[in-house]
Amino acid sequence: MKLFSSFIKELKLASRGFYFYIELFMAVIILAVFLLLVPDNFNNQRTEYIYFDMPSQTSELFLQEILREDTDGKATPVKVEVDKQEKDAMLYTTTDQKIYVLTSREDVIYMADKEKKIAAVVKLDGDNTINYEYYLQGYESEKFKNLLKILHVESNETIEAAMNNQDVRPLANNFNVLSDRENMMPSVLVFNGALMGLFIIAAYIFLDRKEGVIMAYAVTPSPVWQYLLSKVGVILVTTILSSFLVVIPIMGTQPDYLLLLLLLVTTAFFSSALGLLIASFYKNVTQAFGAIYGFMLLMVLPNIAYFIPSWNPDYLKLIPTYPMLEGFKSVLLGNNDWLYVLTISSGFLLVGVILFSISNRRYKKTLLG
Amino acid sequence: MISVKNLYHSYNKDGKYQVKDVSFEVANGEVFGFLGPSGAGKSTALNILTGLLPLQQGEVVVGGYDLKKVSNERFNKIGMSFEQSNVYSKLTAKENLDFYRKLFDVPTLDSHTLLKLVGLEGKEHVKAGEFSKGMKHRLTFARSMINNPEMWFLDEPTTGLDPSIAADIKDIIKEKNKEGVTVFLTTHNMFIADELCDRVAFIVDGEIKLIDSPKNLKLQYGDKLVEVEYIEKGEVIKTTLSTVLPEDKRELQKIIEHHDIQTMHTKEATLEEIFIKVTGRGLV
Ligand SMILES: Nc1ncnc2c1ncn2[C@@H]1O[C@H](COP(=O)(O)OP(=O)(O)OP(=O)(O)O)[C@@H](O)[C@H]1O
Ligand SMILES: [Mg+2]
Repeated sequence: MKLFSSFIKELKLASRGFYFYIELFMAVIILAVFLLLVPDNFNNQRTEYIYFDMPSQTSELFLQEILREDTDGKATPVKVEVDKQEKDAMLYTTTDQKIYVLTSREDVIYMADKEKKIAAVVKLDGDNTINYEYYLQGYESEKFKNLLKILHVESNETIEAAMNNQDVRPLANNFNVLSDRENMMPSVLVFNGALMGLFIIAAYIFLDRKEGVIMAYAVTPSPVWQYLLSKVGVILVTTILSSFLVVIPIMGTQPDYLLLLLLLVTTAFFSSALGLLIASFYKNVTQAFGAIYGFMLLMVLPNIAYFIPSWNPDYLKLIPTYPMLEGFKSVLLGNNDWLYVLTISSGFLLVGVILFSISNRRYKKTLLG
Repeated sequence: MISVKNLYHSYNKDGKYQVKDVSFEVANGEVFGFLGPSGAGKSTALNILTGLLPLQQGEVVVGGYDLKKVSNERFNKIGMSFEQSNVYSKLTAKENLDFYRKLFDVPTLDSHTLLKLVGLEGKEHVKAGEFSKGMKHRLTFARSMINNPEMWFLDEPTTGLDPSIAADIKDIIKEKNKEGVTVFLTTHNMFIADELCDRVAFIVDGEIKLIDSPKNLKLQYGDKLVEVEYIEKGEVIKTTLSTVLPEDKRELQKIIEHHDIQTMHTKEATLEEIFIKVTGRGLV
């Protein structure tokens, strides 16, 4: 009962303040930008890298076939940077593809493995059968795959045989099939929820410190944890509201909403508990700014890595936003992967509870500080 | 009942104490005051008693609760008004009080009644942020009695208020005390101490120099002061001297021998003068 009235009071306070609206306002902006300005996919033209491992007269046949699709009917000599070296290549541009024909097999594999590009090696075996090695990233469209097929100048049977001979080996196994727009959603959720929550709860605490109301609370029979938890409650409300505001119009029915709710609650709980703990070490926003900023930067790193597939060092996995991103991605895809999301959620809940109880002890001791 | 034995407190735990070996007792129904200059340690001691500061050393029992054993329950019997007003500026006067009422397990006073008591009638729906300093202070003061406390802690209840509001607050304190509330207050205003307190403690540099009732103090020091006006190098000088303290007696003799006395009469000492005599320090 006391907890509930504390929570209602905090909601009232928050709704009369400025921070409450930051998140919602950001959500509206993000929604507008996404719906009006960001195309479903930034660039429909797929880029791929091919090496023909065969005598040049055979590869000529392939190239002629590609040229027929080329928008200007001729190939352009270009330089491609492979492993920090400039390499010669020929560029063929079709309506939905940019095909770079490279001069070595290693370069193609490098592009596939390190740069996460779509790449293929087309090879003529000793017995004159054609062998295709595709290095797909998992996000290629059906259209592209079909196009790869029609590029083959062999008879239908050979194609079929060749297809059957395909040896598909994944280089990495978390293929995503979100569109570009959708692909940005996990980051939006992490940023608008977790990171803003951390900052905003700290701001609330400093506001109360400045007004001295924590001291007035401390001379009542109500425990400090209820005071702190009601603030966390406000963060949960704003996070859920602003997240759903963005997710529903953009993602429609695809996500698992129940799991999304669960993950939002646990991650927001975790980050607001972290915010409380950080704030407990400082007297005012100015003093805490460095620490909060530092934490936010650290938490943003996995977001950056998320958009640069080739940069994904292992230590990033230790940053809490990394599993958050993975979790949101799974939920938004509608994978229905309960076990995975429950595991991540309970992890955040557990760490959140620990951080929260440390904060509780600290606030009990440092009410006047 | 409040009982404090050998209380020490050091903010930085550096061997420098802001409260040193403080001991006193306050009986039920008594008004007890800490009188001392700024920085004397009055608020520090009071904050330890209300649990806002941790008890570092000493024994403190407030209303039967030993402060070494933590218990939030005791706050049902305690009210505290703060030196600096601390209310939610984004909530209205009434919302501030309504929310606070819900934090107690005991019957509370109606917000409207309280606001009327401190002269804030008609301001129920004004946000505290729009209040003047004096109005905020009155709201903070009103909040402190919301749970009908048996023990009432008041940190500088009238400091910085205009005289008519201060007089109202004094009246409320007297009224509550008549109803049986035990009051512990701090002040550096001798009139407040004189008028309200059954007993006062003089506190300087964290130490209690003396505890007694204002009446006793005046009896003890009152008629033993003389106010002398004399002429020295063409100027009229006015001074108050004790007829008990040896150095004052010598000074008085010197004045009588060497100067032209204009007026000389015994007078009743104010609490401030007694404070200066006892502690060698002024109240500011
Ligand atoms: N948070 C703190 N940290 C360190 N020192 C402090 C702190 N608060 C107060 N002090 C010091 O403790 C001493 C006593 O302060 P206190 O506030 O108890 O005085 P006071 O008698 O209430 O004064 P005032 O009449 O100005 O309210 C002062 O020297 C003050 O500088
Ligand atoms: Mg003080």
